Amino acid sequence: MKTEMRHAMRVIVRKKLQSLLGMLGLVAAVIVPAMAYAEDAPRRPNIVIILADDMGFADMGSFGSEIKTPNLDSLAKAGTRFTNFYTHASCSPTRSMLLSGVDTHLNGLGNMNEWIAPNQAGVPGYEGNLNNRVVTMPQLLKGAGYHTYMVGKWHMGKAPDQIPAARGFERDFSLLDGGGSYWDMTNITAAVPKSLFTEDGRYLTKLPEDYYATKTYTDKLIGFIDANRGDGKPFFAYVAHQAPHDPYHLPRDWRNRHPGEYDKGWDQVRQERLKRQVEMGIMPAGTELAERMWFVPDPIVLAPASRYILGKKMELYAGMVENMDFHVGRLIDHLKKIGEYENTIFIFFGDNGAEGTDLFGMIAGSPGSRDNLYAAITWSQTHPNAWGDPGSWVGYGPMWAQVSMTPFSQFKGQLAEGGIRNALIVSGPNVKRPAGSINDGLMHVADLMPTLLEVAGTSYPKASQPDLPPLIGKSWGPVLAGKADSVRTEQDYLAWEVFGNRAVRQGDWKLRWQLKPYGKSDWELFNLAKDPAERNDLAAQNPDKLKAMLVAWESYVKANNVILPSRGPYDTLEKDMPQRVTVHPGFPPLIYQRQFVPPKEMLADPKP
Amino acid sequence: MKPINWLRLVFATMLAASALFPPQALAQVPGRFYWKNLSGGNALPLIYNSMSGNTNPFDPSHTVSPGGSVDATLAMAGYAHTFTLADRSAMAAVIFPMGRISGQVTAAGNAFNQSASGFGDPTLEFNLNVLGPPAQKNIPDALRYEPGVSIDLLADLALPVGEYDSSKPLNIGQNRWYGRLGMPTIFQIGPWVPGRRTTLEFLPAVWLFGDNDDYVGQTMETDPLFQLDAHLTRDFTSRAWGSLDASWYSGGQATINGVQGEKLNNLGIGFTFGYTVNDSLNLTFGYKSTINDTGPGDLRMDSFMVTLVYGWHPLIEGFKRLEDE
Repeated sequence: MKTEMRHAMRVIVRKKLQSLLGMLGLVAAVIVPAMAYAEDAPRRPNIVIILADDMGFADMGSFGSEIKTPNLDSLAKAGTRFTNFYTHASCSPTRSMLLSGVDTHLNGLGNMNEWIAPNQAGVPGYEGNLNNRVVTMPQLLKGAGYHTYMVGKWHMGKAPDQIPAARGFERDFSLLDGGGSYWDMTNITAAVPKSLFTEDGRYLTKLPEDYYATKTYTDKLIGFIDANRGDGKPFFAYVAHQAPHDPYHLPRDWRNRHPGEYDKGWDQVRQERLKRQVEMGIMPAGTELAERMWFVPDPIVLAPASRYILGKKMELYAGMVENMDFHVGRLIDHLKKIGEYENTIFIFFGDNGAEGTDLFGMIAGSPGSRDNLYAAITWSQTHPNAWGDPGSWVGYGPMWAQVSMTPFSQFKGQLAEGGIRNALIVSGPNVKRPAGSINDGLMHVADLMPTLLEVAGTSYPKASQPDLPPLIGKSWGPVLAGKADSVRTEQDYLAWEVFGNRAVRQGDWKLRWQLKPYGKSDWELFNLAKDPAERNDLAAQNPDKLKAMLVAWESYVKANNVILPSRGPYDTLEKDMPQRVTVHPGFPPLIYQRQFVPPKEMLADPKP
Repeated sequence: MKPINWLRLVFATMLAASALFPPQALAQVPGRFYWKNLSGGNALPLIYNSMSGNTNPFDPSHTVSPGGSVDATLAMAGYAHTFTLADRSAMAAVIFPMGRISGQVTAAGNAFNQSASGFGDPTLEFNLNVLGPPAQKNIPDALRYEPGVSIDLLADLALPVGEYDSSKPLNIGQNRWYGRLGMPTIFQIGPWVPGRRTTLEFLPAVWLFGDNDDYVGQTMETDPLFQLDAHLTRDFTSRAWGSLDASWYSGGQATINGVQGEKLNNLGIGFTFGYTVNDSLNLTFGYKSTINDTGPGDLRMDSFMVTLVYGWHPLIEGFKRLEDE
């Protein structure tokens, strides 16, 4: 008995010791570099990551848009634009990889919190929040002597041990939810009617006076920066703007800056953007536009009222982007004013493809449902003149999402290029490439972790904490330094899975498996160098390539414990959506016909 | 709400509001009278007024009969059409007043206790916007309409063809030409969203009167009458609205056979409640009354008014037919 007790005690003590050592290891990983870098901190650059929410590849002037983004364009002009940069297809998975450098299926966002499938529930890596098995970028940068600030949308957990303050941010002003009002604490559903915010680790009971998300986030960040300016330490700022995620809430004077400009319809705007992209060198000459989604009409068939209403939604979206750009400009100006601009690395991109799904309709669209009744009270300012006000909900739909993702196919949530490829701008002292240059090296959001640890002069503590999941990214150091055009070889691959959709990118090739009706529910193979719009499935013609890339996919599944979901948002889509057909330009001729005007000399009145 | 439904609501509200209302009754029109709508729209207003006071409500000069007491029932039917003129919103209309009047008045030193009935003087009206949003030539224009600061030029002309008995001072027709020049002005306050619209509206106007050379056997001349109407209007819901109304009258001194009467300097106040019943039908109810009316020479009049305006536009009618298929 005594022996058993002694053994049990020994086991308990050993476990406690291991736990303590593990904690000490983490603490050491965080603290030791801080001590080491306390003296030389001023030489290291500040880091500002600006993340736009649901903003498309083609929405900045420097990426071919007619939307006016002079401040973001100024970063592009001073730095480098990257045209082959990948995020994930949806919000929290991208953010989790950004801050952890670890694949979603290991970092807790193997699925979005909102869609964890029955067969994924309870499995490590599928917690629906950034799990505690990963160490975060702010934790490591804080340990390396950086101030760490966050403003904006978090969307990776709401419990006290999951919020930004618990994951390494020294100061924060954060929206914990995935979306909601820009004006107040109104959230989307009857089940979760109130948005949660934290400030410096405390849950807010109310919002500041004169709150407007994009403005307030910027104000707060400027305040954080100024508060610690005197100590000479560099800062890391994660500016996770809610904009331009729907609902398009926007101050009144930003709503009418493109009156009637989009009444011409999405096809023409896409063509115009692609033309500019080719002229700029963002896309190669000869690039084709992706086919218009089969359920989106040619705007030529629409009545003026519909063109106006749909065009006005895009006007609002453009305003959202321009307003965000304005506040980015405020931040840039402030850093210039305090003398920190030249020593700041700016990294700007969108978190996934533009949003083409009717989120509000999905939630509140069923008359008589709980959320429909909630929407009747809180989200029913539906008149176009109310768009932008509290209580309005405007999203611009799949037609404009495709415009935002010009020239790519599909949009957010999909693993087509329109869901995962985004515009990236990097500028600052570490960027030695020619100012205003464009690079098409293969990049990934998870690369940020090793890149920025390198910038900060620290490293991922895998050696001291072997239980940490591996980083999947590669440092951009050589590319930013102008010593390489890509950090990836032809053999390196990137892979994704969410909602059961799958993809692998390797060199110029992409393997894609998308559920019907967006995909074939089968593997498709594309050569993105020749076909960035993914128009031509080459799987049948390239069985060897298909096979080789399937090996990469299997390797990815195994390495990251990918569990395909048993349920998901696509469950009934094939039946609910219009039957998929191929969209051929000019078909059917019926809708492109014009009134025939006979020759004048052949006109006559009827004979008596 | 679908775009077309918004269009219908916008059209119904604006068409009904901007259809004709009785300029005679206290010489005042309700608020929202000069909101603009889609060019090519039509309206038929039907108006019922019940009035009492010391003046003939069919006569916009409001010549006071000291000690008089008049009751009148006035109805009006009209037709209005909106169109585009030089890229501006315009409206042309005609109004046909009719009704009964009875009471005791003093004219030319004689007391009359009489009544009259029949058709009044038809009035032609033309209104042109000169400052503000451009004409609503198509549906997107109509959906984009917000008055902001909007100023119109207005002209009315009454034709002296109504029932008139020269032996009586109370008549439905006025036996003289008269008309009005005005400048309807709208200030939009806040958002232009059905359910939340607020406006402050003014109508400064001058009434001009020809001579009535057979007013109970005498000649009546009337000086120009300046009138300022003001309305503070506010939506209650997307279909219901209300307004506080005020009118100030100054001038309009009548001279009968060289004997001058009193100049008007009076204030009337009231309220209006409006409701858009459906795409085509708008209803208002209002009451107004003079307030500084205790002196024997002061204008004294009050009025209940109910209006029913039926409006239509070929486009809206077409949508209805398609829906009924």
